[in-house]
Amino acid sequence: MDGSVFGKFRVVDMTSGIAGPFASKLLADYGADVIKVEPPHGDPSRQMGPFAGDDPHPENSLLFLYLNCNKRGVTLDVETAAGRKLLLDLVKTADVLMEDYTPGYLDSLNLGYSQLEEFNPKLVMTSITPFGQTGPYSGYKGNDLVYYAMGGMMYTSGAYHREPLKHGHPQSLYLGGIVTAYVTSAALFARRTLDQGQHVDLSLSEVMAADHYQPVARYAFSGGVTRRAPKSDTGQEKGTGFLGMVPAKDGYVRVSISPPQRLYSRSGPQPWPEYAALLGHPEIGEALAEATSTQEIDEILLPVIREMPKLEYYHRLMTNEWLAAAAQTPQDLADCPQLDERRYFTEVEHPVIGRVKFPGEVVRLPNSPWSLRFPAPLLGQHNRAVFCGELGRSKDELVGLRQVGAI
Amino acid sequence: MKMDGMLSGVRVLDSTTAVAMPTAMHILADMGAEVIKIETPTREEAGRRDESFQYLHHSKKSMTINLKAPGGVQLYKDLVARSDVLVENNRAGTLDRLGVGYSELIKVKPDIILLSNTGFGQTGPWKRYAGIGTFLELITGVSHFTGYPDEGPRQVGNAWIDIHVAWMAVFSILAALHWREESGEGQHVDFSMYQVGVSTMGAEVLDFIVNGNIGKQMGNRHPAHAPHGVYPCRGDDKWIAIAVENDEEWRALLKSMGDPEWAENPKFDDALSRHHNQDEIDGHIAEWTKDWDFYELMHLLQGNGVIASVVPNTAEIMTDPHMNARGFYEKLTHSPESGFGTRVLIGRPWKVSKTPSRFRGPAPTLGQDNEYVMKEILKRTQEEIDELYEAGVLAKQAPRQTAQAQTQAAPARPRPGAANPAPSLEDGTLAYIDPDYQKRLGVE
Repeated sequence: MDGSVFGKFRVVDMTSGIAGPFASKLLADYGADVIKVEPPHGDPSRQMGPFAGDDPHPENSLLFLYLNCNKRGVTLDVETAAGRKLLLDLVKTADVLMEDYTPGYLDSLNLGYSQLEEFNPKLVMTSITPFGQTGPYSGYKGNDLVYYAMGGMMYTSGAYHREPLKHGHPQSLYLGGIVTAYVTSAALFARRTLDQGQHVDLSLSEVMAADHYQPVARYAFSGGVTRRAPKSDTGQEKGTGFLGMVPAKDGYVRVSISPPQRLYSRSGPQPWPEYAALLGHPEIGEALAEATSTQEIDEILLPVIREMPKLEYYHRLMTNEWLAAAAQTPQDLADCPQLDERRYFTEVEHPVIGRVKFPGEVVRLPNSPWSLRFPAPLLGQHNRAVFCGELGRSKDELVGLRQVGAI
Repeated sequence: MKMDGMLSGVRVLDSTTAVAMPTAMHILADMGAEVIKIETPTREEAGRRDESFQYLHHSKKSMTINLKAPGGVQLYKDLVARSDVLVENNRAGTLDRLGVGYSELIKVKPDIILLSNTGFGQTGPWKRYAGIGTFLELITGVSHFTGYPDEGPRQVGNAWIDIHVAWMAVFSILAALHWREESGEGQHVDFSMYQVGVSTMGAEVLDFIVNGNIGKQMGNRHPAHAPHGVYPCRGDDKWIAIAVENDEEWRALLKSMGDPEWAENPKFDDALSRHHNQDEIDGHIAEWTKDWDFYELMHLLQGNGVIASVVPNTAEIMTDPHMNARGFYEKLTHSPESGFGTRVLIGRPWKVSKTPSRFRGPAPTLGQDNEYVMKEILKRTQEEIDELYEAGVLAKQAPRQTAQAQTQAAPARPRPGAANPAPSLEDGTLAYIDPDYQKRLGVE
C-alpha cells in the first residue's frame, strides 16, 4: 500500500534548537506533514555550527540541515496580533502542535492548551520545557549542561578526583527529542479510541533523570549512593582496570576479555590464552593468566594493543563472538562499511549548501520506510505556499504581514 | 472499549532480555498495553532476582514457554496469533532456527508487528556482532566527544545508551502500530542499536563529510558559550553547573556575584573574549562558589536569570522538592514472595492530561501469569494446561545457572573491562550507603 506512517498527520512545530526539532524530524522522516514555524529572525539553531565550508552563512548550518529536512518552513511572530491569528488558523488544521516556550507564556497570549482545545479538540499539544509545566523550578532556565546535572547523570560520570562530567555533545537534547517523538505518537494513537487530543508536558531534566535508572534502583533498593569512578588499584585512571578504555595505534579501544555469554557471569577463570591468541599474540597468554594485579596485566597487554589499529582490535574480537569496542570518530562513521551496506547514508541537495552525503534511516520499517523527500527549508521558504495556498491569505496580505513584522 | 492508558487494547509479547528492550516494554505496559514477558523455563534469566530486574520488568505479566519442548513452538504461535506486537533481541537468525521466524509467524498472524533488536541490524558485515550498551558508547562515536579535554575519550557508563535505544524502540513500535491502523499491514522492524546511537551524531558526521572536521573531547564546555562548566560548592563533592549564553546572562551572573572588580576588564566584556579567557573566568567563579550551599546558589542564580543547576547525587535528586512536587518518582509495592516490599522507582519524563500512564504492578515472578494466558487468552482447558506443565513447556521455576557457577568460582582474578562490576564502598564506586533511605524516600 502507498502512503507513510504519519502521512495523514499535520504537525505544527514551534520548537527551536535540537530537542523539539529532532522529534519532529523523526515524525517528518516517516511521512508527517511538518510545518516548522520560526520567528522572523529564524530558529537559533541556524546560528549553531558546524557550518558548511566552515562559513557561517545564515543558511549554512549543518546542524539545522540535519534536524530539519522533510519539513516545510514558515515564519511567524507570536508577539504580533497578526502573527497570532495566522498561528491560530494553522493550529486549526493541525493534529499536533509542538512548542518549547516558558510555561505560561502561550497562555498569556491566549494560545495555551485550554484555549486551543476549544478550536481543535483533537489537537495533541506537546510542550517541551527544561523542568516541566508545574513545580517550583518550572520557571527555571535549562540547557544540555543543566539536564545532565539535574538528571543525576553528571554526578556519576567522570573521575572521582575531578569535577562531574557530561557527554561532550548535546546528547540530552537528542534524547529529549526521541522521548517527545514517542509520547506524541502515543497521544496520536490514543485518539483512535479517545477521539480527543490532549496536552503532553515533557520535562528535559526528567528525561535525563529517567535515563539514570541504575543508580536510582541501587539507592531505592539498598541505600547505596553511586559516585564517579575511582582510580584503579594501579593508582592510574586509565588502563584495563578502569573501564578498559586504552590507547591503540590510532585511537582508543575498550578491552573486555569476556565472550558475550560470560558477560553477566562474574566468576570463573578468565580465558586469557584464548584472548591472547585472538589478538595474534599467543605468547602473552600465559603471562596474562599468571598476572595477579591489573598493573601487571597493563604492563603485558597495553604495549601489544598500542601497536594495533583500533578497528583491527575490534574486528579480531567481534568476529570471534567476543566483546570489544573502538572509539569511532565522525570519520569512522562516515566511512563505516556496516552503515554503507545498510544504506544508512543518502544524498540531499540543498540550494545553498549543495549536494551532500546525508545520514538517513534510523530504523528500518520495510513496509512503511523512511524517505528523504526534500531538504531543510530556507527561512520563510514556504510562507506563500502555506499562508496563501492553504490558509487563504492573499498575496497582498502576505506582503502586508511581512511589512508589519508578523512573518 | 474502556480506555486505561494510551495503548489500551494493544497486546505485546516481550521475548527480550538485558536492559534496552525490557525498558521499552515497561514503558508500553505503563501506557496500558498488555505486555506479556515470555521466559524460558530452561534457565533463569541472569539477574532475575536483582533490584534492576524489579525496575526493568514492572507492569508486565510473565509466561513461560520452552520452545524446545514438544508443543512449545505451537503454543508460542498460538499466542502470537492473539497478539499485536512481538519484540525480541536475539542475534540475527535465531528466531528462524527456533522455528518462530517472521515468515512462520505471519502464517498464523498476517499483520503481526515483529521488532527485532540487534546491536547492528539484520543485515551487513557486522550483523553477528553482539550489541552491548556500554560498548556501543564507543562505537557510535559518543565517547569520542566525551572526556576531560586534557585526556582521551571516556565512557559515561550507567547503561544510558540502553535507555536511549529503548525510547527509539517505543517510537518504532508506535510507528508500526500507526501504519497497521492506516494500511492493515504488520511488518518486521529491523532495529539496530548502532544506527540509533549514530543518529544522534548527525551534525558531527556532516561536519566530517562536508568540512573534514572530526571534533574532540569538550569536557563540560560549549563550542561558543562561556562560562559553561561545573564549579565546587561547600561540602564534600558538592557542585553547581553554571552556563552563560548571552550578555544579559553574563551581567546577571556578575550581579549575583556582587559585581566583582576583576570583571571590569575588556577581557570579559564580550562573548568572544569571554570564550577566549574562560580559564580565568572559571577560576574566579570557582573561588566564589566554594563557600556557597549548592541549592541556595542555584536558587539565587536562577532567580536572577542565570542558567544553573545543582549536581545532585542519587539521594539528593530522589528527594529534590521539584522532582517530588511533579511526582516523578513513584512508589511500587512488590509481591510478598519477592521480599522487596515497597520501593520508589522512576516514573516517566512526561505527563499526558487525559490518559495517564502508571505502574500496572510489580515485576512478575516466573510464569506468574501462565494460567491467565492459557485460560483467558488461549481458552485452553485445565487438562491441556497440565499436559504442557508435564511436557516442560510451562513451568513456575527455572534452574539458576549463575548459582552453580558461583560455587565453582575460581579465586578472584583481575578482570579487565568488566561490564558494570558490583559497586561497593571498598572499591570506591559508592560514595556512601544511606541507612535511612527508605524513610527519606517516604516509604514506611
